[in-house]
Amino acid sequence: MGFIGRLYEYRELLKSNVKKDIRGKYKGSFLGVLWSFINPLLTVVVYAIVFPYILRVKQENYLIFLIIGIIPWTFVTSTISYGTTTILGNCDIIKKVYFPREILPISVAVSGLVNFFISCLIIFIFMFFSGVAFTKYIVLLPVVALIQFILLLGIIFITGSVNVYMRDLEYIVNFFVNLLFYATPIIYSVDMFPDQFKWVLYLNPLATIITSYRDILYSGRMPNLTSLLIVGLFSFCVLIIGYLTFRKLEKGFAEEI
Amino acid sequence: MSNNSEIAIEVKNVHKSFKLNSDKPYTLKERLIHSNKNKKEYRQILKGIDIDIMKGESVALIGTNGSGKSTLLKLMTKIIYPTKGKIITRGKLTSLLELGAGFHPDFTGRENIYFNASIFGLNRKDIDARIDKIIEFSELGDLIDTPVRTYSSGMYMRLAFSVAINVDAEILLIDEILAVGDQHFQDKCFAKLEELKANENKTIVIVSHSLDSVKKLCNRAIWIYEGKVAKDGKPKEVIEEYLKVCQ
Repeated sequence: MGFIGRLYEYRELLKSNVKKDIRGKYKGSFLGVLWSFINPLLTVVVYAIVFPYILRVKQENYLIFLIIGIIPWTFVTSTISYGTTTILGNCDIIKKVYFPREILPISVAVSGLVNFFISCLIIFIFMFFSGVAFTKYIVLLPVVALIQFILLLGIIFITGSVNVYMRDLEYIVNFFVNLLFYATPIIYSVDMFPDQFKWVLYLNPLATIITSYRDILYSGRMPNLTSLLIVGLFSFCVLIIGYLTFRKLEKGFAEEI
Repeated sequence: MSNNSEIAIEVKNVHKSFKLNSDKPYTLKERLIHSNKNKKEYRQILKGIDIDIMKGESVALIGTNGSGKSTLLKLMTKIIYPTKGKIITRGKLTSLLELGAGFHPDFTGRENIYFNASIFGLNRKDIDARIDKIIEFSELGDLIDTPVRTYSSGMYMRLAFSVAINVDAEILLIDEILAVGDQHFQDKCFAKLEELKANENKTIVIVSHSLDSVKKLCNRAIWIYEGKVAKDGKPKEVIEEYLKVCQ
């Protein structure tokens, strides 16, 4: 309970930090915040050319299929890479003032979530123009997003605090995120994955999350609720472990950086 | 034993050691290579400090460089934690350790006021109510709406001080900042501190080498020598003793 109480007391800091994370990142660039939407779109353009035309992936409506995978994935990569370095990046305030340190990773995850919800508008626009039907299952979108948020927050609680003590972690994490990109059905669909390696997808909670987004938006059907529930519980455990790790390590932050 | 709720800051048998930083393994490679031969060495900065600071007191911590006074102040703000012992603070606390903590260079002065004040735990309504006072105190005028990176160091410092001093904390911890700014602004800060001191609920702890201002501003001085309390009492007497040793 102390956790919630402290967050409430420092809600203004959380708010302005989220604002700073969203706006400050691109400040000084001509297009500003727009970059956080242009970037994934450019990636989509590249893949939409490479996979159907060069690698001959046959998937109906591949552009929409891709966008629904890439935009949640951008939420993953930006949150993890930014979250892992947030403690080190804010070393000057950590060394000079007291505030609940967990505000930093939380605001990274929240700004990722906000960005994601805004990016969903892009998905909707594309869906509208390519004639993919909106179904009632769209109400489940925030639920899946919340599970993804919990999972990512748990992960960056761990990577952000450990990175203070062992700075290689940042690069190791980057490598694993790249690896994970191919172990998650983003550019391909689950049934294209070789059967003998299917277990990779079962072990990867992000695979379930991305597949659920696809079920909701692309196929217009009910996602697999059992897997979603398991991933939800798993994410919650990651969050608890992450938070406890963070609380244990945060006492040394000011001395280590 | 006096009533505990009257004590603003309780420092109980606090010890603090720092790892010696000569070759701290930051990377995995260094950690693996030095894993067995890297003996950890510690330097003890504070060796058992016991202080009770009452509500309404204004206390100065004095001592030579490296005696541990700034460390003690950082422990009170909960930026670092004691190796042994305990520190309890009662009331909202603001610290001014080094100025301009957490300013975002691309944001305007006004946006930074909101950001900085929220670090001290204020919400939007509280800040809205104080913003005019803060801007007025900083004497930045119209410049408040330009990015902080365009400020001179003096303007930067004035803004930081204005925020910290106007957040109405019950405990104010200040590290060596009375020596910054031009004479006019210094006098103004001094007057503001005097005003805060007159308020019975405000507790002020300052670390300073400017012994004259300590004498004027504080009603208690604590001399820290080699990580221990050497003398605690009226500023005049403590400073006299301290100067004797210094010379």
